[in-house]
Amino acid sequence: MTSILSPESPADATPSALVDLLSKWVIEVRHRGSTGAGIVWGKSGIVLTNAHCVREGEDPQIVTALGTRRGRLLAVARDQDLAAISVPGLEGPSLRLRDASALETGELLFAYGHPLGVSDALSMGVLHTVVRHRNGEPKFVVADIRLAPGNSGGPLVDADGQLIGINHMVVNGLGVAIPATAVAQFVDRVRTARAA
Amino acid sequence: MASNTAPLSLTDLSSQLASTVARASEYIVAIRARRRIPSSGIIWRDGLIVSASHTVRRDGQVAITLPSGEAGNATVVARDPETDVVILRGDGLPAPAPRAQSNESSIGSLVLAVGRPGRTTTASFGIVSAEINGWRSQQGRRVDGILRLDLSVYDGFSGGPLVSASGGVIGLNNSALAGGSAATLPTSVIDSVIDQLLSRGHVSRPYLGVAVHPVTLSSSTVGQLKLDRPDGLIVLSVTNDTPAEKAGILVGDVLLEIGGAPLTKPADLFDALLARTAGESASIRLARGGDLKTLNVTPIDRNSGADR
Repeated sequence: MTSILSPESPADATPSALVDLLSKWVIEVRHRGSTGAGIVWGKSGIVLTNAHCVREGEDPQIVTALGTRRGRLLAVARDQDLAAISVPGLEGPSLRLRDASALETGELLFAYGHPLGVSDALSMGVLHTVVRHRNGEPKFVVADIRLAPGNSGGPLVDADGQLIGINHMVVNGLGVAIPATAVAQFVDRVRTARAA
Repeated sequence: MASNTAPLSLTDLSSQLASTVARASEYIVAIRARRRIPSSGIIWRDGLIVSASHTVRRDGQVAITLPSGEAGNATVVARDPETDVVILRGDGLPAPAPRAQSNESSIGSLVLAVGRPGRTTTASFGIVSAEINGWRSQQGRRVDGILRLDLSVYDGFSGGPLVSASGGVIGLNNSALAGGSAATLPTSVIDSVIDQLLSRGHVSRPYLGVAVHPVTLSSSTVGQLKLDRPDGLIVLSVTNDTPAEKAGILVGDVLLEIGGAPLTKPADLFDALLARTAGESASIRLARGGDLKTLNVTPIDRNSGADR
């Protein structure tokens, strides 16, 4: 699943190293006054976010530390709440993905995003449970973590900085994320379609 | 970052938390005795499970899921409605939960609330935010040491354990004790409830048979009776065929002391009764008209059907 992304040596697992890494991945996706988070997908020139952070047929604004530019909306999967935005030239550190099947209840998870318009905020929590499809594949990663609007589309990572999922919604106070493996499959589909 | 201590390794902390949850999951069962989501229960003693009574909606035999994932059965033994504790007996249960150290549940201690609302365990993480002393059940029982938590309440929270950093159990989680927010009934209270439920089938509740209201006596009365303080409890009613009636307490009496302890609010009377076992007599000092009297009362156990 990590084939498109070169593995990188693990980050020094300290809070400051984690923030340093996340700040290079996460950008703002602005659309009609609302702010979501987005993940710079390695060196692919693609930003991943939630479908509910964009509107089909309209190109969102991408805000990075270097300034604001307009991205091109490549693909939207409403059923998965995923969207891919093309931002040529925008590159981030290589992503290391972790399969949610290997997660253990209680391990530390971190979210990074722009909750309630506060830019670049880190939240910490623990894995609550993994909701699975009937075939046992992870469907959602549920975390006991404080999230707010603006965390949508941003990353959920483990203590090692590996991507666990994309934050999707809050249910009964618990954060619900789309597993990174499902996100990677979506990216593969988008890139295949674009290449064809 | 000019710190000379080693930086906190998040990976180490993370794996320690996960292994604490894994150890706790060895003593948590799922109880299937309500609609939709199963509730959690803790293996408290050999063959004995405790849970939150309101989550176990059926009596008799109920289906459980053991920590191993295997299906099992348990039987509801007894309930204490006041503390919302239910105990069940099960066969083939693994070893009971180890207890946490007493210094692991201070304000600010890191804790995990672990549950099993189904086959797998779930967890939320936070700190102990306060200790409530003097919590009262609807029937007036005083319970000390209930913990308020800064962590998320989720389906299956009630009935599961609050787990310390070392993996021991601090108490029984129950969101119903604190109006839906996260709270934990301490181990000492649960042990005392279990002991009473197992020996008597109920938790004893000494009963007198009076309704009272706090009053302040006039300074002339206080002077005339040479009292230390002006506070007391005026008797509003005396129920027929109760210890209060047998002892000769009358409507209008102002109760001043029980067993030498001052009575300034109705809770003082409750607490004094609860500190005694049923059948143990106590002297009550009271003001009637312009006189002081001392009467001996023998509270009965109101929760025991035989004494009614």
